[in-house]
Amino acid sequence: MRETDFVLEGVGHEYRAGTPALAAIDLSIGCGQHVAVVGANGSGKSTLLKILDGLVFPSSGEITAFGAPLTEVALEDPAFRRDFRSRVGFVFQEADVQLFCSDVRDELAFGPLQLGLPEDEVRRRVQEVAGQLGLEKLLDRPPYSLSGGEKKRVAIASVVTMESHVLLLDEPATALDPRSQVWLLDVLEAWKREGRTVVMATHDLSVAAEAADRLVVLSEDHTLVADGTPDEVLAQRELLLAVNLIHEHTHRHESASHRHAHAHGPGTDPDQAHGHGHD
Amino acid sequence: MSAPCPCCQADIAPAVHRRGGGRSLARKTADSVGHAVTDVLQNEELAARPGLLQGLDPRVKLLTLLLFAVAASLVHSVWLLVALIALTMALAAASLVGVGSFARRVWASAGLLAFLVALPSALSWFTPGQVVVSLGPLSFTEPGLMGVATLVARVAAAAGFAILVIWTMRWTDLLRALSAMHMPDVVVATLAMTHRQILTLLRTVEQIHLARESRTLTRGTTRENRAWVTERMAFVMRKSMKTADDVYDAMLSRGFTGAMPSLVRLRTRPRDWMWAAASVALCVAIVIADRAVGP
Repeated sequence: MRETDFVLEGVGHEYRAGTPALAAIDLSIGCGQHVAVVGANGSGKSTLLKILDGLVFPSSGEITAFGAPLTEVALEDPAFRRDFRSRVGFVFQEADVQLFCSDVRDELAFGPLQLGLPEDEVRRRVQEVAGQLGLEKLLDRPPYSLSGGEKKRVAIASVVTMESHVLLLDEPATALDPRSQVWLLDVLEAWKREGRTVVMATHDLSVAAEAADRLVVLSEDHTLVADGTPDEVLAQRELLLAVNLIHEHTHRHESASHRHAHAHGPGTDPDQAHGHGHD
Repeated sequence: MSAPCPCCQADIAPAVHRRGGGRSLARKTADSVGHAVTDVLQNEELAARPGLLQGLDPRVKLLTLLLFAVAASLVHSVWLLVALIALTMALAAASLVGVGSFARRVWASAGLLAFLVALPSALSWFTPGQVVVSLGPLSFTEPGLMGVATLVARVAAAAGFAILVIWTMRWTDLLRALSAMHMPDVVVATLAMTHRQILTLLRTVEQIHLARESRTLTRGTTRENRAWVTERMAFVMRKSMKTADDVYDAMLSRGFTGAMPSLVRLRTRPRDWMWAAASVALCVAIVIADRAVGP
């Protein structure tokens, strides 16, 4: 049985010459792992996910997916492309860009139909996923008439119907209310039981700590600076301060004042020092 | 009511009800954009009503209303054109879309525009004939005014059928109808994404203007307002291009192969065939009658 889904060796990416978005990333993602890529805004999390999904390609280094090199040339081969797309699903940060069909039913069916699955099978998947994610009443509605939280659910559902082995999630908790965040954590837990690999990019340490069994930290200079279990990484307070994932500021309590470390994200408690949730 | 700023003594006017009760540029633009979004959502509601046209197969409805619009463009008799306009009103009533608002939409957009464009052609300088109306140096002739009336009636009739298509058909059904009529996938996909993009960008523009409105203390000069609007237009254009790239990436990520398949299958029922047959017969009869009576 294959033990790793992705292997990155010295991967770097520049959108413009001289402006790195990622630098010299060495990373191996095991089959069935739940990995959270954490870092401040602009650290390269989304770029890393796009590289894992074959949407952008390394300017330097190499990436291997499921044992084969993942390159632009390889993805031009229809058989490879179909196989790769059926194995990897990507939920974008902004749900609006992912909802381009005329109604929710077609949105959920888009991926499986593109993969050439029989229509009966696609209908079964759409009904099943809509039932699981509570979307039955939305199936005939156009995406633009949905609320932000509903759009996010539909965006996630549109990838779930593809039954991909690997799920890439870019800021999955964004636009979700507290109840929907709990729902998301339940979904992630179910995927874990099913043995699916999840790679999520987030700067919400509470979601990362709760849902991932491995944390990868990107610094503001786009390099990988830490890789370990959530307990190991979140215990490195100085590191988290240095990469701008938590910050300190002074609180006044009646006559006394003292400094606290803060992480961003609802209910965050990053380093056992003192965490505050910020909306 | 305005009050002096406590620190600089500048006059701080509320963002609305300035200068004789006029609204700010930001507020007016935000309201207009909000109305545009509301219109789209209202169309969805109209298309869901249990009316005559809403019950037809989208393909049949699209083709037959298009046929009526073509017939209107072939007809020269004003009276037959008036009959076609009356038909659009009757269809609007039978489709429960509100005859008053339907007539306002037709005449306020297409009818008025056609009238303003065609009116100069009725002047005696361009169309000789018996002068029936004189306004100072401007003289309007009978054949000229008949020509204007014909053109306005033709445009109003055609626009009426087009608006009936839009008001009685969900956008999703329109796209499916186009797809079923073998419109290339790339065209249907582009239309679908354009519609989505426009709505998303409308909301962005509305938020931009509301954000400005919430921070506006003074009116600003026309030049400043113009510069701000231009800069925001550039921002929206950049955002639009970035969103288009992201949407394409999202499609590729889910295995986009160039086709836009759908799970929904359109079905034609006996009443669709009856409607289609009646529409074709009526259009043929109208064109024949027009040829018989002459212009």
